[in-house]
Amino acid sequence: MTSVIEVQNLTKRYRDTLAVDDVSFTIEKDVIYGLLGRNGAGKTTVMSMLTAQNFATSGQIRVFGEHPYENARVLQRMCFVRESQKYPDDALPKHAFGTARLFFPNWDQELADRLIDELQLPLKKTIKKLSRGQLSAVGVIIGLASRAEITFFDEPYLGLDAVARQIFYDRLIEDYTEHPRTVILSSHLIDEVSNLLERVLVIDRGRIVMDEETDAVRDRAANIVGDSAAVDAFVAGREVIHRESLGRVSSVTVLGTLTPEDRQRLVTAGLDAAPVSLQQLIVRTTQHAAESAAAPIDEGALR
Amino acid sequence: MSRTLNVVRMQLINRNTYIWIPLLVLAGAFVLSLAVYALIPGNEPKVGGAAQAPLWYFLVVGTQALTLTFPFSQAMSVTRREFFLGTYLTAAITAGILSIVFVIGGLIEQATDGWGMNGWMFYSDEIWQGGPLAALAFYFLLAMTFFSVGFWSATIYKRFGAFWLTATLVAIGVILVVAMWLIGRTDSWGAVFAWFAGQTSLSLALWSILVIAVLAGTSFIPLRRAVP
Repeated sequence: MTSVIEVQNLTKRYRDTLAVDDVSFTIEKDVIYGLLGRNGAGKTTVMSMLTAQNFATSGQIRVFGEHPYENARVLQRMCFVRESQKYPDDALPKHAFGTARLFFPNWDQELADRLIDELQLPLKKTIKKLSRGQLSAVGVIIGLASRAEITFFDEPYLGLDAVARQIFYDRLIEDYTEHPRTVILSSHLIDEVSNLLERVLVIDRGRIVMDEETDAVRDRAANIVGDSAAVDAFVAGREVIHRESLGRVSSVTVLGTLTPEDRQRLVTAGLDAAPVSLQQLIVRTTQHAAESAAAPIDEGALR
Repeated sequence: MSRTLNVVRMQLINRNTYIWIPLLVLAGAFVLSLAVYALIPGNEPKVGGAAQAPLWYFLVVGTQALTLTFPFSQAMSVTRREFFLGTYLTAAITAGILSIVFVIGGLIEQATDGWGMNGWMFYSDEIWQGGPLAALAFYFLLAMTFFSVGFWSATIYKRFGAFWLTATLVAIGVILVVAMWLIGRTDSWGAVFAWFAGQTSLSLALWSILVIAVLAGTSFIPLRRAVP
């Protein structure tokens, strides 16, 4: 594997807040990443700094081995349309696409036309009059059709209806298969994108708290469901990250991969092991990480 | 280089800013001036300043070139340098077209003796004393000066915010007042007026190149650190 982005000790400080706190990671070539985290966790700030739209307070960024700032050679291989992207005042969607075609060497007009049609984007309205969903569609089309070697999608689904979101996910996978490239998809709707992601980077309060393959993450925990007493007996001695009870039935999330012996024990005890959704796992582990220092786990509390 | 030229095409997306509104201002000022000239009886020379309106409008063009298009240029992976050069090139092209229109207007005025009613809008003895080419340079550099002031203000605003833009403008005001005080103290007003009187429109226009260069330079530095 070759890496296309290398980040070392990246920090971004605004007056009194630390938006990104001493973060280091690498992004591998031709992999779809999820950059996951809550609102305000620092996702957009990180992507802005990687594309030299914003400036790091300290730390090192290398993209294709070079510094991206004022570097057209590197920048034209990247595409980052931010969630709150502004467009020229009089611009119609076709102007935005026409301009993208000038600046992104791999631009595919056919793909753009197809997406315009599928996402039902009105071409005769100025961009400033588009709805939130239509505005997202403009960003999604630029991101996909630019076919940049590193493409960032910043909460691309905002305001899009379920059909449009599915079209985006389908086209992304299709086009990625034909033209492999590095995709970094920022999202707080984790489950909806989890099937697309090969690796996840979870950012919380400006720090990377998880940097792993999606499958490995899924394997890290399981939900044990069944009679409360039997569940308690099974989870004794294991690391519990979440617990819910309803009457005599409990559902407990435990960390650790289940061994064949574990599965055998579950069958004998009449318990079920359900997979944990990526979203649940990330929510639980980030909560757990934040709380574990002081308080014991908050039993049964719903997020 | 081609990316810089593409910035020109990107700027020209704002057709209202660059094409339709300046044309409207020009046509409006022209038609209204002619109508007013026609209303005035007698055959004294009638001179209107309305034609300068499109030149003033370059102040707005300079502001909008930054505020409306810089954030989009960042999404297009354009470097700040390419954006700066392309935007100045766009201004130069449109200012050039406008100055050509002005010179043509002035030539027509000379040929028709002020549209047949001794009304003058594009031509004036002071501006044209060095001939049509000097007038062209004068109009062009005046438009570019206005553009630079607008672009400069917008860049300072984008980079540092409204407070520092205002503070900078106040500071420039203070410097000008101090300069006036110094001129008064040293009894130099006579010399200053004499200097201005000794300038032609062309030499004044050439001095504006210095102003444009200073404004462009002091815009580029904060633009290099501006965030969309």
